[in-house]
Amino acid sequence: MNHFDEMTVLLYLEGQLDAARAQEVKAHAASCAACRALLGALESEGVWLRESLGAEDESVPARLIAPPERGSAPWGWLTALGLGAGGAYTLWTGFIEPWQAQAAQAGFTQGNLLTMLFFSSSFWKGWDAMRSAMEFTAMAILGLIVMWLLRRRFRRATTFAVVMAAALCAVALPPPAAATDTEHGHPNYTLAAGQEVKTDLIVAADRTVIDGDVDGDLITWSRSVTVNGHVKGDILGGGELVTVNGTVDGNVRATCQTLAITGTVGKNVMAWAGNFNLDRKGKIGGTATVGGEDVDLDGHVGGDLLAFFKTLDFNGSVGGNFRAQGRSLTIGPGAEIAGTTKFKGPNPPDVAPSAKLGGPVEFIRHERGPDRTSPRYYWHQVLLWGAGFVFGLVLLLIAPGFFYDVANACKKVGPTSGLGVLFLLALPVAAILVCVTIVGIPVGITALFLYAIAIYSTQVFVGAWLGEKILGAGVGFGPTLGRLALGLAIIRLLRLIPYLGALVAAVVVIWGLGALVLTLYRYMRPQFAPAAA
Amino acid sequence: MERRNITGEMSAAELAEVLANVRAGDSEAWGELYRRYAPAMFRFCRRALPTPEDAEDATTEIFMKVRQKLDTYDPSRPFTAWLYKVASNHCWDLLRRRRIRQDLETGDIETMPLEHPDPGQLERLQAEHSSKEVRTGLAKLPDRARMALVLRYYSDMSYDEIAETLGVRRAFVGVLLLRARHQLRDVLAGSGASGELGAAAGRS
Repeated sequence: MNHFDEMTVLLYLEGQLDAARAQEVKAHAASCAACRALLGALESEGVWLRESLGAEDESVPARLIAPPERGSAPWGWLTALGLGAGGAYTLWTGFIEPWQAQAAQAGFTQGNLLTMLFFSSSFWKGWDAMRSAMEFTAMAILGLIVMWLLRRRFRRATTFAVVMAAALCAVALPPPAAATDTEHGHPNYTLAAGQEVKTDLIVAADRTVIDGDVDGDLITWSRSVTVNGHVKGDILGGGELVTVNGTVDGNVRATCQTLAITGTVGKNVMAWAGNFNLDRKGKIGGTATVGGEDVDLDGHVGGDLLAFFKTLDFNGSVGGNFRAQGRSLTIGPGAEIAGTTKFKGPNPPDVAPSAKLGGPVEFIRHERGPDRTSPRYYWHQVLLWGAGFVFGLVLLLIAPGFFYDVANACKKVGPTSGLGVLFLLALPVAAILVCVTIVGIPVGITALFLYAIAIYSTQVFVGAWLGEKILGAGVGFGPTLGRLALGLAIIRLLRLIPYLGALVAAVVVIWGLGALVLTLYRYMRPQFAPAAA
Repeated sequence: MERRNITGEMSAAELAEVLANVRAGDSEAWGELYRRYAPAMFRFCRRALPTPEDAEDATTEIFMKVRQKLDTYDPSRPFTAWLYKVASNHCWDLLRRRRIRQDLETGDIETMPLEHPDPGQLERLQAEHSSKEVRTGLAKLPDRARMALVLRYYSDMSYDEIAETLGVRRAFVGVLLLRARHQLRDVLAGSGASGELGAAAGRS
């Protein structure tokens, strides 16, 4: 008695046994009822499987009726690119261009973008500009939903029409908003000598001259501001040229191209200016915090001085401590510093022998930008690579499917770069808009937080894709990790290259973000739900 | 073994002419070829991949590949076999990328003992489940088991072809198929009323 196991029976039925063995099975089955029953059951199971799998009782989706043309169906990336371009256009016409126009009007050179960004609230365009951004975001979302609903009915012609219409709408939207934006400055404003303003004074003018007295604060945004009179509160100002010849009892806070103080400021001065000039007659009662390109300090600062600059010529006096950071510092013969003197810069300061200092100058060598000669810089790069790798490792352990899908989505260059640009620009704007309402703040902050994580994770996905591109597809955990490590290392190396590195970083972020969004979108599509178990 | 006959399959001469026209860039011929074979390819993808959307995308992508690779098709071999080869490689490639944990799970598949089935229960199971239920059950199987069944019982691939597609030894294909059949029985028995078979066949 010698029964066959199921495996042998299956191989016999599938014709995979050699002739002798098959004959054995046949002979045994003829004499053994149990084995014959098993053989019959497995044989009918094979037929049943073929019939069940081969049944043509499901319809082919409408989307598949037309054959794919050369090149994959382009509606995905056409949409994404259209929306991305629309978003970039809105952002440009709605925000950056008016800023630049305003800035140019105010005498800012365009190179002064940092100052512009820093004091962006001075350029606040009101709700109209915000509304146009909101309209675009809303429209983009609506468009995406409609396309998602219609995705099965899409034919190429319809698709093309919809995409073009969406792009046209996006382009057509901003102009009306832009028309309401430009508000020219008032003509010259002068507060004549002897006149007095009892409250705060807020002026937006081309040229503002204060010869009289202001009891409160002076808040002004003008091309040129000259204060010859007496301001009892603070001065908050911005413009091309701010000159304080008179007396200010409070603080001066200004951002401008040139700030000159020849008068007296009772309290503190905080200024971000291209040029800052404290005249020999000028006096600052409190501390001075100054950021500027060329800074000349010949007058008196009662408290501490904190200065960031390209060049600083110091020939005045400081009652407190002197802290400076910049390219070059000259301490002239007339300088007096009561407290300590600290300077951070590439070269030691030039100190005149007759300068009266409270102590020796403490000099800390500090190069601008990364010091590519120091091994520490490269050690940092290795650490950053390691951090990226660990992040990828955790991601791979937590959500391997997601990890692969995103890395895989990187292959679709068109849709990913379009979506990447769109989300890179739209998400922070949307999050900030949401933050405007109190209820929206947690949502907005969470969104920004996730955005930061998403941006960081882009290098991992692009790295994984890059590694796979180089070493070929690998299956399983180990090979994937190896490819990730290689890809990340290459990205990091490319980023070391000056200038090109920044471009690489931008491409990685846009690409990876697009792949991430594309994958999330795919996940949100309805999934096949098997019949309830 | 005879290949499954695809509904509306062309005669050899007709096919050769259509293929020649497609190669010459005739979009009409391409449409013809597509209409004949797309439904079968979609059904293949629908069985091989877990979601309908994946299957739709994959069908489109497979035909893109077919168009690109048409020059590599050897006319002396059946066209359907070649099509299924392209399709199965594509689908397996898709599935493989998402798979990490299953590698660990199925590592000891060769040595895992399988309970001897009761022929009576097996036949009852076949009688109780519709084609649709079988396909629903199929979607719940691990990728490799599902793929093995589809390649064998839908595409009628030989053991050699299956071994090549799935990247396993030829001797392992039988084990894979038997194991997959057990898993499918378990799934169906678990969802159906027939009860005890799942427990008899062991874990899934």
